[in-house]
Amino acid sequence: MQTTIPLAYMTSGSRGRVSRVARDLTGRADRLAALGVTPGASITVLQTFPGIVFECDQTEVAVERAVARAILIERD
Amino acid sequence: MSSRRVPLLRLRSHPLKIALVGNPNVGKSVVFGRLTGRYATVSNYPGTTVTMTTGRALVGAEVCDVIDTPGVNALEGVLSEDERITKRLLSTGGAELVVQVADARNLRRALMLTSQLALTGLPMILVLNMVDEAHTRGITIDTTGLSEHLGIPVIEAVAPDGRGIAELRDALTSATRVLNDRPASMSHVDWASSTAAKFRRMNVVSASRVREAINRAVREPLTGLPILALVLYATYLFVGVFGAQTLVGALEEGVFDGFINPAATIVAGDIPVPLIRDFLVGDYGLVTMGLTYAIAIVLPVVTTFFLMFGFLEDSGYIPRLAIFSDRLFRSMGLNGKAVLPMVLGLGCDTMATMTTRILGTPKERLIAITLLALAVPCSAQLATIMGILGGISLWALGLLFAVVLSQMVVVGFLAARVLPGDRSDFILELPPIRLPRMRNLATKTALRVRWYLGEAVPLFLVGTALLFVLDRIGALDLLTSAARPVVTGALGLPSESAGVFVMGFLRRDYGAAGLFKMAHDGSLTAVQSVIALTVMTLFVPCVANLLMIIRERGVRAGMAILAAVTVIALGTGAVLHAVLTILKVTF
Repeated sequence: MQTTIPLAYMTSGSRGRVSRVARDLTGRADRLAALGVTPGASITVLQTFPGIVFECDQTEVAVERAVARAILIERD
Repeated sequence: MSSRRVPLLRLRSHPLKIALVGNPNVGKSVVFGRLTGRYATVSNYPGTTVTMTTGRALVGAEVCDVIDTPGVNALEGVLSEDERITKRLLSTGGAELVVQVADARNLRRALMLTSQLALTGLPMILVLNMVDEAHTRGITIDTTGLSEHLGIPVIEAVAPDGRGIAELRDALTSATRVLNDRPASMSHVDWASSTAAKFRRMNVVSASRVREAINRAVREPLTGLPILALVLYATYLFVGVFGAQTLVGALEEGVFDGFINPAATIVAGDIPVPLIRDFLVGDYGLVTMGLTYAIAIVLPVVTTFFLMFGFLEDSGYIPRLAIFSDRLFRSMGLNGKAVLPMVLGLGCDTMATMTTRILGTPKERLIAITLLALAVPCSAQLATIMGILGGISLWALGLLFAVVLSQMVVVGFLAARVLPGDRSDFILELPPIRLPRMRNLATKTALRVRWYLGEAVPLFLVGTALLFVLDRIGALDLLTSAARPVVTGALGLPSESAGVFVMGFLRRDYGAAGLFKMAHDGSLTAVQSVIALTVMTLFVPCVANLLMIIRERGVRAGMAILAAVTVIALGTGAVLHAVLTILKVTF
């Protein structure tokens, strides 16, 4: 069974697919989408401290924890 | 097909306007340089270009205007100020043809933008840049198929080597509108994902092991922080010791004191009018003070600094510092992204003020601009700081940086709470780690040094002349006595340093140059040097920086920043003086 968890709680080295990006009023989802972080995109977590760094379709992205909590991942 | 084709080669009243558009850090400026022969600054991080640059290119027999634009991740939704510049250009008819430059490794993201660019209805060409890096990562793209599908020329390129540029030139005449097969109900993202899947084959090969290891080492705090310390120390050795001491010593003592100044004094000795003689070789003389300072003291440091800095810029290292500094910047109402303008400010605060456009909200921009003006010493300023304090002690240098940094944190912390508005989320794309290309590094450094010579040196000569005139008409004495309560009373400095502060208002490094001279003459003690330099460092960097602040944020904000920064600078100096006196520090 597949489980969905926020990116913020994934461990370094784990992989998955973006299932949903929670929308807020600041356009966070839009900015992530523009970097390719959209439902269906596969990601690999590279680092979890002090910020969260992940690779998404050849793009390396660093985000703060609050943002990573808004990205929901289906683990592989 | 022919109905979409736009006849491009024909007589026109103005040159055809070609805009280079694309995601950040895909190499638009490199393509620009290749097409026009003009150099636009090229670095390895998103946000190097924050303004439009125009150049001319010859296409067939026709001269075209090529426009390099700031990178955009999207043309819709929430945009930063640099992205809006590109959007405005496209929506106001500033471009008649779009060349989309894309990173071949990331076709999906590129197509998301293609889909949005198609809506402008402009004829387009797609350049897949960095195909070499894509190949090494196991990515191949069916260029012919993609070109047929989109109905526009698609060109593979490795712009730094000039590969694909001739093809691009040829293709410019056959640019057409995109065959948009995206149904209105489909999002740009979905269209891009399905199109990319059709024409891209991935045999995922991980990046080279060495590169991966370096990337991890600089990113993880356990290894990254010691590396940062090492980088700072290497910078200090190269700029502070080799540049500021070895080279400066050779130029100042060998060339200027040993040759140029005595020669100038002899030549000027024949001038019968003493006023002109003093103007050239006197205390505030153009040659003895102006040129000596600008060429002998600052030039070597600025050159070594820009070399080191360019290397770090092109390696992709600087944005990775954002990961460590995000938390600190968040307490100042910013986010980790602000590390880019802040580090850039060490090169030139004026340019960095423009780079704040990459930040998300007006509040962040205002805070970042203020902190740049207050607490980030530019390369010329660093030159004088290291020149003076390097000779005194490392403790003095450390104290100055500690005071300045703490002011930055305190002011940022207060500004974050007092100013209205919000900060934006920390979301930053990290560029790949690359070995810098020596040619780009050399060109970039040469251009920056030339810019320094062209902009800073004339202003310094004007400043020297102004000081000379003020001195002659007695205004300097007046000013000195008016400033005495502050300068001697609160700061505990000799009253002659008032003139130095006048120079400091013009460009703070010139003020520091005056201090350099006073420190050499022995008219400043070590403690006085530290206090005077700290105050000078906290001043607004230069007239050019002030004008840039006004251009970016308006006259009111500019004046408010100037007033606040001046008060904070003098206040900090007074406190520092009091503390050092009570503690009887001598260095």
